[in-house]
Amino acid sequence: MSEAIALPAGAPAVQAADEQQLATITPRELTWRRFKRHRLALASGCFLGVLYLIAALCEFISPYKPETRNVAAINAPPMLVRFFDLDGRFHLRPFVYGYDMAVNPDTWMREYTVNPSKRYPLEFFAKGDPYHFWNLARGERHLFLAKGGYVHVFGTDQLGRDMFSRVFYGARISLSIGLVGLVMTFVLGIVLGGLAGYIGGWVDRAVQRLTAVLLSIPQLPLWMALTAALPPAWSPLRVYFGVTIILSLFGWTILARQVRGRFLALRVEEFVVAARLIGARKMRVILRHMLPNFLSHTITTATLAVPAMIIGETSLSFLGIGLRPPVVSWGVLLQQAQNYQVIVMTPWLMIPGLFVVLAVMAFNLFGDGLRDAADPYNTGGQG
Amino acid sequence: MTESLLEVRGLSKSFDGVPAVEDVSFDLQRAGTLGVVGESGSGKTTLARCILRAIDPDVGTVRFNSENGWTDLHDMKARDLVPLRREMQMIFQDPFSSLNPRMTVRQIIEEPLLVHGQRNRAKRLDEAIHMLELVQLERDSLTRYPHAFSGGQRQRIGIARALVLRPTFVVCDESVSALDVSVQAQIINLLEDLQKELGLTYLFVAHDLAVVRHICDRVLVMHHGRVVETGSVEDVFERPQQNYTKLLLSAIPSPDPDVPLRPLDRQALGL
Repeated sequence: MSEAIALPAGAPAVQAADEQQLATITPRELTWRRFKRHRLALASGCFLGVLYLIAALCEFISPYKPETRNVAAINAPPMLVRFFDLDGRFHLRPFVYGYDMAVNPDTWMREYTVNPSKRYPLEFFAKGDPYHFWNLARGERHLFLAKGGYVHVFGTDQLGRDMFSRVFYGARISLSIGLVGLVMTFVLGIVLGGLAGYIGGWVDRAVQRLTAVLLSIPQLPLWMALTAALPPAWSPLRVYFGVTIILSLFGWTILARQVRGRFLALRVEEFVVAARLIGARKMRVILRHMLPNFLSHTITTATLAVPAMIIGETSLSFLGIGLRPPVVSWGVLLQQAQNYQVIVMTPWLMIPGLFVVLAVMAFNLFGDGLRDAADPYNTGGQG
Repeated sequence: MTESLLEVRGLSKSFDGVPAVEDVSFDLQRAGTLGVVGESGSGKTTLARCILRAIDPDVGTVRFNSENGWTDLHDMKARDLVPLRREMQMIFQDPFSSLNPRMTVRQIIEEPLLVHGQRNRAKRLDEAIHMLELVQLERDSLTRYPHAFSGGQRQRIGIARALVLRPTFVVCDESVSALDVSVQAQIINLLEDLQKELGLTYLFVAHDLAVVRHICDRVLVMHHGRVVETGSVEDVFERPQQNYTKLLLSAIPSPDPDVPLRPLDRQALGL
């Protein structure tokens, strides 16, 4: 019986031990088991989960509002959260040291030095800037604040705004643009690809040509042209949705091709023919027999499309034609870090870039793991 | 026992201008077994699928003697065919791709009943259990997925699915050729037992002539989409009239290992 268990190489641990159990587990469980073995993908998934949680709760997590200015600390470097003071004494409550600022007479740059006499202990769940959580509830508690002073874990920008807060407010926009775009990509890809694959004929040809044309246009210039066409008077929210739509207009092509290919491959698969010969109606054949056998792959492809969306948003905003201040997104933040002065003098302004890299990498690793796990039986054509 | 169940007249089907089946005609007697033999690409499977309307034939008529009298399958709309699906079913070649990997055995066997309007859960389950007994599978197979079974067991599941609607006519499309020889024998015996028990009529598509000789009572030899010879198993196997049939027969290995296999030469026969 064991020869019929079509697990790929690298699965012997599961194979022998609980073959009996394996026989009755659902495809979803099997996928989950295989995904769990992919440590890096699992870690990436957890990382993304935390990131999205932080983005969702950013009003609470971040100590300040993204537009709050601290005039006492402009272009201030990141602060170290400490448990030991300079004399080596341990404090249970973490704290930060405040800065003394002096303008360098040669360069006219502000220079900050740690002042041990300004010890600001961190206060948790403290009252601070009032906020309007998701436009639903008002609140003023923050995860942490510095008592009697200020805390800037990632430093501050040219206007004295807290980068830590801005990075996570930006995460909300940048990460959600990927998900919202994903939903649109998914719908467009499945509907158009499905129509092409199932109806065939001129519908198929039309979709195929459209895909080919869209794929042959260099993306960045086209994005630029389309975003430049968004009316400048639009509110930031409308621009956000405009950018999302533009990004997903191009994301669906690869997905549509894949869905079409799956439809073509599955249509002649014997179990699909069997379902037709039983007398099952078209919708039943599609929903019950075809869709479950390629949905997992499609979800995987879609997962791999998210980082492209995030990069797209970041690129457009970086170039100044996507989202614009006062909206805070990673791309908008990076736009501030465009000049090379930043690299030398205030490198912490590039922290949003680090988050872009981490998020995109995590999505790619997560997607890879999903793809490997998605098809537990390796049926229905090639992945 | 001489009543016809199926009449095929002048059936043709071509793909992109290449003929796969050309002008095939035959009758099938109720409770009989007709073997369709030929090499790969001779149009056997296309013929089988045209008869069940898995593929629409180009021309020709297929008349089926259903419960409600003779009906012409070729003229019917797909929707009108649905009630007739109860009476004619197919057992597939590949036991690995013919079962939906995302459904449990119970779902697979119950699906035909569900499609044909059996809304009673308990009755469906009873039927499924009964079918499992018929094909000699354990009752606890019901909750399992196809990947947990061997080729022979999967083929039994496929047979259970095909027979759960109690069809009178079953097309076996190379149903044993993907199996090991020992498993083949088990499945063939099972098919024979089921035929006796349920009064089934088989159209048995195969390229393995030894199998056909064992299970069939009439044979249809196909070559390049045409029927080259037809007759009873004894006639065709003992007294082949056509060179092509002789060529096929010469390729059957003898059970005696000392008898060397001497296939005839294609060129010499002018094929």
